[in-house]
Amino acid sequence: MNTTISVPKEENSTLDGIQKVMYAKNDQGEFDRYRYGSSVEEFATKIAIEEYELLKQECLEHIKQGISSPIEYFMYENRMDLPTLSCAVGMFQFRVKRHLRMHIFQKMSDGLLTKYADAFNIILQDLKDFR
Amino acid sequence: MSQKPPFEHSQFAHCESGVVSTLLSAYGLKISEPMAFGLTSALTFVYLPFVKVNNLPLIAYRSLPKSIINTISKVLHVKMERKNYPNPRAANEDLKNLVTKENKMVGLQTSVFYLPYFPKDMRFHFNAHNLLVYGVDGEDYLISDPVFEEAVRCSEAELSKARFAKGVFAPKGFLYYPKTIPQNIDFTPIIKKAIVKNAKAMLTPFPFAGIKGMRRLAKKIESLENSEANSRYIKNYLTHIVRMQEEIGTGGGGFRFLYAAFLEEAQKYELNKAILEEASKLIIHSGNTLREFALYCVEGSRKIEKLDTKKIAAKLIEASEYEEKAFRLLKKL
Repeated sequence: MNTTISVPKEENSTLDGIQKVMYAKNDQGEFDRYRYGSSVEEFATKIAIEEYELLKQECLEHIKQGISSPIEYFMYENRMDLPTLSCAVGMFQFRVKRHLRMHIFQKMSDGLLTKYADAFNIILQDLKDFR
Repeated sequence: MSQKPPFEHSQFAHCESGVVSTLLSAYGLKISEPMAFGLTSALTFVYLPFVKVNNLPLIAYRSLPKSIINTISKVLHVKMERKNYPNPRAANEDLKNLVTKENKMVGLQTSVFYLPYFPKDMRFHFNAHNLLVYGVDGEDYLISDPVFEEAVRCSEAELSKARFAKGVFAPKGFLYYPKTIPQNIDFTPIIKKAIVKNAKAMLTPFPFAGIKGMRRLAKKIESLENSEANSRYIKNYLTHIVRMQEEIGTGGGGFRFLYAAFLEEAQKYELNKAILEEASKLIIHSGNTLREFALYCVEGSRKIEKLDTKKIAAKLIEASEYEEKAFRLLKKL
């Protein structure tokens, strides 16, 4: 049985210099907390972040083609998915989903758009003028 | 004015058990992080394919958010003040009062995404991050966040955002602190009960939890290769598992090591030492195996053409076997 816990000391750039701690045994065989860095964790985090970047790039294409609305772009920019965004603005998912389409977006009132702008922490004009 | 509780910022492996450990210790009940984790039977495994997070299944290696806080007060008979607030104004008024006038240290539930002191790459919409507020300095709250090496600070506006984030596990301003702590707690029967409860939970016949849940996830991983899922989805799927295992608060099968540390500490009490020792070894072994499993997941997503889902699934099954052995032993404690 492998009962030694090794503490990885790898680089993890996603943590911006901080190190998290984990439990491992000291020389006396007692548990203690140790700072560690894991490249496995780093990779997993990077993939999650990259996925949002990819979604953003695809969304920009769709905005150009007049399919997607800026709301979809800012949803990814804020690392949200549909359920998270729908909770953030307090509307049903099917309604938010409609707002992700360009031709619906163009007909939305300022009041409604402000709800989104607030959720994204931007001003209304940034949302309306987004290209 | 009452004396400020003696308090020392420490870094912990997991936010909720860490906060509970610091909080109770500051109010006079010295309790380690592994104890806080173990006494609340917080080790688990859950795989719910029908609950989606970013289009990926819900996978958890520890109990639901808030369960450590709620359970610790139940098992130790600690009276906890637990409050939610209708709006940030009321929440901040109360928080300021508690921290400055009453000199209290309080725990808060927050969303990582809105905490400015977190590195950008760590900020996701995870609504159940716990931290401690121990003071006010000008516009800022002084914060002991168990993920960080040093104490940090955060402005009222930004902390309010984090406390009133919407979505799954929305914190609604949740604030907590112990009101009364009983004297002379007899830990032995409490530890025993907590361990047996945890063992039963891990050995549950419910197919999406515990040992069975691990095996079910293994099966799903194995089927990824032949499914129509594209490589991007597989990559996201595998790293998602790793993130749920490692990222949310702790590291490298970290919850297993945390629980093993608890089983070691439990040996100081009058319980069957042989069982605890053996189970602790098995859980460490499972933690190490889960770590290899995570490595395989990452290797598979790195070189998707060399992806061997059978090998990855087998590792997870291996870990589940050690855990089954460990918890079958512990159930008899």
